[in-house]
Amino acid sequence: MAKSDDCVHILQGLLVFGNVVIGMCGIALTAECIYFVSNPHGLYPLLKETENGDINAAAWIGIFVGLALFALSILGIIGVIKASRTLLLVYIILMLITFAFEMASCITAATHQDSLTPELFLKQMLERYQKSEPASNSDNDITKTWDELMLQNHCCGVLGPSDWQEYTSAFRLTHSDADYPWPRMCCVLDAKGLPVNLDGCKLGVPGYYNSNGCYNAISGRVNTHSWGVAWFGFAILCWTFCVLLGTMFYWSGIEY
Amino acid sequence: FRGCSGGSTPSTALPWLLTAAHLKFSPVLTQDPPLEGLTTASTFVLDQPHCIFQDYGNADIWLVVALSQATSTFNNSAGPGTPETAFQSFPDPVRAYMTLNTTLGNYPCPKPDGDITVLRVGSETSCARDVTRPTCNGPLPGPGPYRVKFLALEGSVPVAETAWSVPIMLRTAKSPSSISTTGSGHNAGMIAITTILSILFAILLAGLVAMLVFWGSDFCGGSSTFSKPESVTVRRYNTHHVYDQPAARL
Repeated sequence: MAKSDDCVHILQGLLVFGNVVIGMCGIALTAECIYFVSNPHGLYPLLKETENGDINAAAWIGIFVGLALFALSILGIIGVIKASRTLLLVYIILMLITFAFEMASCITAATHQDSLTPELFLKQMLERYQKSEPASNSDNDITKTWDELMLQNHCCGVLGPSDWQEYTSAFRLTHSDADYPWPRMCCVLDAKGLPVNLDGCKLGVPGYYNSNGCYNAISGRVNTHSWGVAWFGFAILCWTFCVLLGTMFYWSGIEY
Repeated sequence: FRGCSGGSTPSTALPWLLTAAHLKFSPVLTQDPPLEGLTTASTFVLDQPHCIFQDYGNADIWLVVALSQATSTFNNSAGPGTPETAFQSFPDPVRAYMTLNTTLGNYPCPKPDGDITVLRVGSETSCARDVTRPTCNGPLPGPGPYRVKFLALEGSVPVAETAWSVPIMLRTAKSPSSISTTGSGHNAGMIAITTILSILFAILLAGLVAMLVFWGSDFCGGSSTFSKPESVTVRRYNTHHVYDQPAARL
């Protein structure tokens, strides 16, 4: 009957549209995860050392999931148009596997974002910034990363320059409190990289030192990462869920 | 040495000059502008004593830094730069040392506008162990508390002194291992993602199982609703007269 033909065509059209969207989102997810993996924000050395292991795991999974989604969406479109039970069954099973992987990636990214508290960075900075006998290359990396962070964002420490006063640190072991209440990078520097007014910086006169903490700068960038991977992945999965339900319904209605 | 309290020792000084004039001023930590490094672990910052020693133009003005409990035993006649007041022997056995000497010219009255005039006690690290520099303004060895006062000396005669300041405590640094990095618990977002995704995944798995279990059976009820586009099998009996009664066809 004409009516059921229309229903068929509408359902087919919806499924094709759904798969097109999935394909595009897959490409977008891949591109975004490649962007994050390539470490544009320079914070990778800090994040690498956190206890939850490699934050990039979620991003790497995202890359492959994105490509898989794109490939499967093409398979899905072909299967829907041809109304082939086999193709669609393969499609559904592979999609479920991809769904599971993406689920893991989202949860990893969301959990990781949770664990990046100021205390974590504070402890890491105090124990490893300017460590006099660097145990490994990562200590040097951490020092370099912090120096650049403080220079570019005009900030000092995690919560403020008082971090260096409230706690002893590896930095404090080699730099006396009277000469270096906080590292030189916390001073306002001129074009040559020297403090504009060293005494003003040591005293803590407003205008000659950076009084903000760097945590906002760090967490801002990391949160963008997590939002990108976790919540975008979540949105894709919700959409995929609807398309898969529709495909299952369509599959069950195909004659064989 | 000359006695501290009006003495029996004959001296050429007039009796009322033997005790220094006691000024009502008391040194304070700098309040304006607000300084981040007002007190650190080994330094602190005082306001300069402008317009305090105006009557003593010839005097050298010294800063006396003492342990809080040693203020009552400090003798104004103790000379600066002697082993009894050497910074290098502070806090044991020397309980109070003298440093930061200057003439009145360095504390102009009135205070020049716009300049930040402070005294940073503890800023000289180069002479902290140099016994040839007993008046070194070296970093303080502990968190205190300390009390300070200004003392004006003409030659070696104390002519004026300020009151002792309130006790000044310096900062004590904690060890970084005292920072607890255990997470503050899982936030709502993470719980929401995990829950919702798990439910969705469970529904999909259930759907897949249902599909496979009912493979081939028409569980959607009756004849299939969708036909393959290219199949020519006429499963539906499309007649031209759709309004015919079905019973009539049989």
